[in-house]
Amino acid sequence: MAACGGDDGGEEGTGGAGGNGEVGAEPVTLSVATFNEFGYEELFTEYESLHDNVTIEHVKADTADNARDALRNSLGADSGASDIEAVEVDWLVEFMQYPDKFADLSDPSVDGRWQDWKVAAATTEDGKLVGYGTDNGPEAICYRADLFEEAGLPSDREEVATLLEGDWQHYFDVGKDFVASSDAAWFDSANATWQGMINQVEVAYQDEAGEIIATTNPEVRELYDQVLTASVDDELSAGLGQWSPDWANGFQESSFATMLCPGWMLGVVEGNASGIEGWDVANVFPGGGGNWGGSYLTVPAQGDHVAEATALANWLTAPEQQVKAFEAKGTFPSQVEALESEELLSSTNAFFNDAPTGEIFAERAKAITFQPYKGPDYFSINTALQDALTRVDVDGTDDAQSSWDKFVSDVEALG
Amino acid sequence: MTRLRPPVEHADRLPRPPRRIGLGSRLSRWDVKLSPYLYISPFFLLFFVTGLFPLVYTGWVAVHDWDLIMGQGEFVGTKNFVEVLTGRDFWTALTNTFSIFLLSSVPQVFAAIVIAAALDTNLRAKTFWRMGVLLPYVVAPVAVALIFSNLFADKFGLINSALGVLGIDPVGWHSQRLPSHLAIATMVNFRWTGYNALIFLAAMQAVPRDLYEQAAIDGAGRVRQFWSVTVPMLRPTIIFVVITSTIGGLQIFDEARMYDQFGRGGADGQWQTLTVYLYELGWTRSNFGRASAVAVLLFLIIVLVGLLNFWITRRIASSEVKR
Amino acid sequence: MQVGAVERPRRRSSGAGQGRPGKLVYGLLAAVLLGSMFPLWWSFLVASHDSTVLSRQTFPILPGGNFLQNAATVIDTVEFWRATRNSIVVSTVVSASVVFFATLAGYAFAKLRFRGSRPLLVFVIATMAVPTQLGVVPLYQVMAKLGWTGELVAVIVPGLVTAFGVFWMTQYLSQAVPDELIEAARVDGCSMLRTFWHVGLVAARPAAAMLGLFTFVATWTNFFWPFIILGPQDPTLPVALQQLQAAHWVDYSLVLAGALLATIPLLILFVVAGRQLVSGIMQGAVKQ
Repeated sequence: MAACGGDDGGEEGTGGAGGNGEVGAEPVTLSVATFNEFGYEELFTEYESLHDNVTIEHVKADTADNARDALRNSLGADSGASDIEAVEVDWLVEFMQYPDKFADLSDPSVDGRWQDWKVAAATTEDGKLVGYGTDNGPEAICYRADLFEEAGLPSDREEVATLLEGDWQHYFDVGKDFVASSDAAWFDSANATWQGMINQVEVAYQDEAGEIIATTNPEVRELYDQVLTASVDDELSAGLGQWSPDWANGFQESSFATMLCPGWMLGVVEGNASGIEGWDVANVFPGGGGNWGGSYLTVPAQGDHVAEATALANWLTAPEQQVKAFEAKGTFPSQVEALESEELLSSTNAFFNDAPTGEIFAERAKAITFQPYKGPDYFSINTALQDALTRVDVDGTDDAQSSWDKFVSDVEALG
Repeated sequence: MTRLRPPVEHADRLPRPPRRIGLGSRLSRWDVKLSPYLYISPFFLLFFVTGLFPLVYTGWVAVHDWDLIMGQGEFVGTKNFVEVLTGRDFWTALTNTFSIFLLSSVPQVFAAIVIAAALDTNLRAKTFWRMGVLLPYVVAPVAVALIFSNLFADKFGLINSALGVLGIDPVGWHSQRLPSHLAIATMVNFRWTGYNALIFLAAMQAVPRDLYEQAAIDGAGRVRQFWSVTVPMLRPTIIFVVITSTIGGLQIFDEARMYDQFGRGGADGQWQTLTVYLYELGWTRSNFGRASAVAVLLFLIIVLVGLLNFWITRRIASSEVKR
Repeated sequence: MQVGAVERPRRRSSGAGQGRPGKLVYGLLAAVLLGSMFPLWWSFLVASHDSTVLSRQTFPILPGGNFLQNAATVIDTVEFWRATRNSIVVSTVVSASVVFFATLAGYAFAKLRFRGSRPLLVFVIATMAVPTQLGVVPLYQVMAKLGWTGELVAVIVPGLVTAFGVFWMTQYLSQAVPDELIEAARVDGCSMLRTFWHVGLVAARPAAAMLGLFTFVATWTNFFWPFIILGPQDPTLPVALQQLQAAHWVDYSLVLAGALLATIPLLILFVVAGRQLVSGIMQGAVKQ
């Protein structure tokens, strides 16, 4: 497929090509594609009031999966992408294979804005910066204090942090005590728990040479067996596939007592558990620190307003804006300055029993000691593994071994 | 019938002698010769560009390494086909497609005939009832799928709750293979049964009355008349309905895609149909080559089933099938 | 391609017996009617409460008061107005175009003599059995080459004229337009196009209305191709709906509110033109 950019006869809308010149006062409409919750709604309004000539169209994709598909398609067709496209860390590497498709965002104004690893992941070998970091997903544990209390466990967030301090096996062992004296399960699903575990493996599915090692890496298999033993044999899992309607209802039904909580999950829990009291957050995570998710803003090179879009992305990912987004939806900043900011550290969350979420997640972010390497096929392989877990934990169509065999053949079929 | 109005602005109102040599008549001869071709050309042009060419070109894409973003790669011959045919997914999807297709067409034809028979009585408010059965036809499959996916939710769905009241264990509508096929077939049936019932109704009304009178004289009751007169006369219509639902049914996508939030047809591919599989290969994994191989295979399957249909049609000696 | 009865004997009484049908028949039809309406009613029940209603052990029996609020949220969440506008634009343009071009071609096949008309018509009918949807990969590439991905025009163009439409109009016009009328117009000195305009198009009206209706419904409910080619920025209604399904937490009162909202325009059409849809199908409409 030859690239056929350049000649776009008679684009409607913005009155002539704004072009890639200086940011003038020409009226422009910028589209921004995000997924899940970035917490940008109010920031867009603010930006529009700061820049009279800019109108922002927010394109909210449903899941990260679909956002990824949509972006792949528009890059493949060299048209149809938004002016700013959010990219999730799990599929960033995949898109780093096509640096030409993205505008270079390097700019003196953003030097030193993010943690080094956050920038490194979005920088090509020849020094091109493809994306501006938005949030990270340092993980804590969300739990139902009321259910803990009923089961005779400590329920105060400090005590819970002490109780759960340890490795994954310890977390599961506490769970066994809990389910022995409660009707609820310990956690929501094997899928969700898996995300926390695999993100602590330095090289999981693909080595630096791009070789797929997912099916032969003993570490992956051990974790797989461990999470399924805990979920199914020890009956710690509620068996509610993450993001499914049954899962959403599980919050209302008090089906489970704990779940892994990256910062951005707080908004999700609040939405699903509206009207339920007792959720809280503990400053602890099995196996030490962990990061789940987090994103970047990229500017596809195919756009007509690359300069204006870059300016907007620059503004949106500045520390003070990211703090506002955190306050709105719990998206925890990856910006160095934001991590120190007073607003962040003093922010609390009413739904979670007024937990000092800013402080807790800042602590959790410090516990992260390395970034796992995620190869270009990470997303596809992890999807196949999630399916394998779902077959055993949710659907019950397979046991751990037969589901693993299917996973192996799925990975081979990726081709 | 409408009356022909004289053309408003006629330049030369003089009646023309039939054979005048001149520019006008030559033009009009071309007019007569070319017009028909001109009138049918839009269809043919569009069909060749957006129908036939892509279909043929699919075969070309299928024998190459072809990535959505990187475009055409090298020629690989049958590699894509081999990979598809030796993989687990294709066969699963093929079985699912046929299973859903059968579950959604066999009961549907039966139900439609029964409903048509009920409509073919001397009802009060005929139009009301006819419109009533047609209502689901205007609900988009996507909306149907959203609604039914909720009704069929495994843990908190209305249907499982109703079963619970009857003392039946909840069914894994989204986890077990056959139940998920049943749920999807239910959506298809919901939308099309009434539509097909009206087609059968039209056919029933075309049955000559004297056949019934004859049967009545022979002492056949209502039910007997239905089986010995109505059903045989419906045969061509049944074949027609089956053929049309084959072409659509083997390409079922909307309901399967929308049955859960991931749209990949289940973690074990429980309800992954061939078109859902095709979409996943092409637009999720960006593997256009393999997606095209699946398209070619599905095309061959539809042609085969079509020929089978045709053969069965021929076997059923029924003169009305001739066009 | 067998088409259902076109000429029906007028007002034939029931196939058996003349009396009014019994309770059994009415009971059966009432059950079918309930089955047809229940899913929509259920959506309305759920959509008028909030998402927590589904997880209570007792299901709602009466609608709550939340419908408008949920509808407003849906309209905020997805590009609802734009999607509605897009659906209206696409369906209207496609229907009008199908009606016009199909009438044109149908008129030629039914009423004009030209070399190769038989085989060409057979060819048209044969294409109805060709699953052109399967050419989706190259079609996508063609659209990408033209720079039409994400544009409505990519959804409109492939639907501009259909084999079914041509076939339908040929069938109809061959018996609706007497040859004498065409002769008369020709003798009058009308050009071919004029003749078509004044004779063919006028005579085709009833069939054209039905063809337009069916095309409208089919286009409105179409999902596969629009879903592939349109992004989330500029969707048609079904494409926008699927975004609701996977919003990051599935709020079913919103999802079902969206399903209802997307159906309302067609329900209105159904109330207005349901009668025509019924008779259209009974005159041999073909599932597309």
